[in-house]
Amino acid sequence: MRTDFAFVGVMLVTAALLMGVALIAASLLRPKKPSKAKLETYECGMETVGDTWVQFRVQYYVIALVFVLFDIEAILLFPIAVAFNSLTFFAVANVALFVIVLLIALLYAWRKGALDWE
Amino acid sequence: MNFINDLLKIIGDFIAGIINSIFGFSPFLADLVTMGLAAIILCTFAALSFMGLTYVERKVVARIQDRVGPNQAGPFGLLQPIADGIKMFTKEDTTPAAADRWVYNLAPLVIAVFALTTYAVLPFAPGVVGTNLNVGVFFIIAIGSGSIVAIIMAGWGSNNKYALLGAFRTVAQLVGYEVPMLLNVLPVVMITGSLGLVDIINQQTTLNGNPGIPFIVFFPFSALVFLISGIAETARSPFDLLEAESEIVAGFHIEYSGMKFALFFLGEYVNALAVAFVFSTLFLGGYAGPVLPPYIWLLLKAAVVFFIFMWLRGTLPRIRVDQMHNLNWKFFVPVSIVHLVVVMVLMKLFVTSPALAQANGGILVTPAAQAAILFVASTLVLIGSLTVAARRARIMRLQEEAVLEQRRAENIAAVSA
Amino acid sequence: MTIHQVLFIVMALAILGSAIFVVTTSNLFRAALMLILTFFGVAGLFVLLDIGLFAVAQVLIYIGAISILLIFAVMLTRGMQGMVPRNSQAVAAAVTVGIIFAVLLLLFGPFRVTVDVARWPVFSLFAGNASPRDVGGIEWTPPNQPIPSVPETYIADFGRSLVDLNQYLLPFLLIAFLVDVVLAGAIFVARQRRPAEVIEDRRRQAEEAAEEAEAMRQAGMAPDVAPLPEGAVASTAEH
Repeated sequence: MRTDFAFVGVMLVTAALLMGVALIAASLLRPKKPSKAKLETYECGMETVGDTWVQFRVQYYVIALVFVLFDIEAILLFPIAVAFNSLTFFAVANVALFVIVLLIALLYAWRKGALDWE
Repeated sequence: MNFINDLLKIIGDFIAGIINSIFGFSPFLADLVTMGLAAIILCTFAALSFMGLTYVERKVVARIQDRVGPNQAGPFGLLQPIADGIKMFTKEDTTPAAADRWVYNLAPLVIAVFALTTYAVLPFAPGVVGTNLNVGVFFIIAIGSGSIVAIIMAGWGSNNKYALLGAFRTVAQLVGYEVPMLLNVLPVVMITGSLGLVDIINQQTTLNGNPGIPFIVFFPFSALVFLISGIAETARSPFDLLEAESEIVAGFHIEYSGMKFALFFLGEYVNALAVAFVFSTLFLGGYAGPVLPPYIWLLLKAAVVFFIFMWLRGTLPRIRVDQMHNLNWKFFVPVSIVHLVVVMVLMKLFVTSPALAQANGGILVTPAAQAAILFVASTLVLIGSLTVAARRARIMRLQEEAVLEQRRAENIAAVSA
Repeated sequence: MTIHQVLFIVMALAILGSAIFVVTTSNLFRAALMLILTFFGVAGLFVLLDIGLFAVAQVLIYIGAISILLIFAVMLTRGMQGMVPRNSQAVAAAVTVGIIFAVLLLLFGPFRVTVDVARWPVFSLFAGNASPRDVGGIEWTPPNQPIPSVPETYIADFGRSLVDLNQYLLPFLLIAFLVDVVLAGAIFVARQRRPAEVIEDRRRQAEEAAEEAEAMRQAGMAPDVAPLPEGAVASTAEH
């Protein structure tokens, strides 16, 4: 099983090499005439004003957090789903309880307006 | 051995045999070379299908929108992808002076590499699969996280307000739609009892000795949500708000040009095709099918799914960012959870194998009956949720219109006063 | 050296290198990216340990979710370049980490700690029924056995144990409630005030200002006089 992942590693390395070769070939073929105007940050011809560091909405953070929680939920459910056929009804009822508690969390977030994107 | 049906496997075995005889002195080296060659073949397949798909998509979308599409390069514009390729290789490529050079230049490489790695676990025909991981489905969804990281790298590395904003929108969308994707793979995993893609296909080929039924019949709701989430995950129209040209000028890859831009493009198409393959595997039975060879079946199914992608792209307008989040968090996720609970309980109540019925209780039914029960339940969840959502949407629309009406009346009053 | 050992050393070096970069760089964003590389290396270690499920879960949770959350949190801050990667607690943190690492190494590493119980009788409390040794010290026993293999059915076994009453059912259900609490807390902390609430707040502030001005006027002061320090205003309002 450990060896099953060997091909994934080989694939990662091969893909990186092939794409790297494409990038290097392109850098050899293409012209390279940089000028000051070309290297400016592109904002539809306007000169860029201020820092790129604009303050982000806290909404992004809340969405990411809700995502983390549901990601963890789904990942815990996967091994249970694999074992599903051999589970007793009691166990399945507990899984349903687990899932429904999370659904309540989602509904709470919904009611508090954390999921609204204004 | 049926020659046509096992063509891919025979060719693969032949090449592996040659390599083994050359590197007979070291089995490790032989394995490494075989795997490397297989990886190169898969990457080439993905890159070639990317070139082909750009042409097909432009032609199909043009036809839908009553245009001609590319028609200058070669007959019917068939040489267009090659012309595009030459252009991508020879176009000047600038790195903005303000950019974080390392992060900026690595981002396209990361996105392309992770997109290509998805193909390592896709089964193309019986015995023709890069590696049959026992966590296959899970792996495919996880490797998608790589492109999320690449997008953040691109957005930040460019040091451009639009790029950063686009990257953030994208990431918020991609992470959000991962949840319904995971939740709707679960029913398939439950009925198969395995995360391996080959096991999932086998389960759809034969069910306890009977001819199998594709899982789209068992779980139409899951299939639909998985498909739409897949479109959102690959950021294709109508979920392409992250690269809305008219709003944030192409989003996170605004500063990229030439080959680096091509790699982003490649990542996008390769991912979309991978979603089509995965959907075919999970819900349409993968390479299983009568008469035709298995790899042809898989390609046909994937082509149909990809055609749906193109059709949607040619037809639907882009959705707004709030609509996108509402669809996910207020419709897909809660309804998927409800659907999951319903399916779980039904699958425990109606079992197909006598041993399980004896061990855990439950009513013994034939696989076809189980499929019918699950189909009815899943469809009911789908129709019920759509009805509720439609009613809510109508109420919200009426409220919005009432507010607008009131504002208009106030404006008129203000003008006349 | 086997291929496993080579891969282990490569991954361990990648983990250590990127981890050191994370704590020494002055650019928060690059630190976050390097942290992702660390997580990736840990996923590789899980593969070497033959638990592919955890490797994939590591990629999905730590790279796909936690690091995204971290980067979003970083983006909410201002001015993250030019951070000083040291603070006054650096030495204390280093000492604590060193002690924890040493303890973990002694507990789980290929070492055996023997204590001279005659000199340190207190350790006989922990020794249980193990025979006391005469000479204290630390013995190193290089592991010679191959890496134990994981059974084919480990995913299903793990799933079953999660919902087994005698195993991890309670922690499993507690996770759901923990998630609820985390979500509620996050929503409370990161709550965006709705426009209606903002308007209400402004109205209240305006009312308070008006009341204050009224109080000042009654105290015989012109309302357009520059506001006094808070204590002074309070004392005049008391009249």
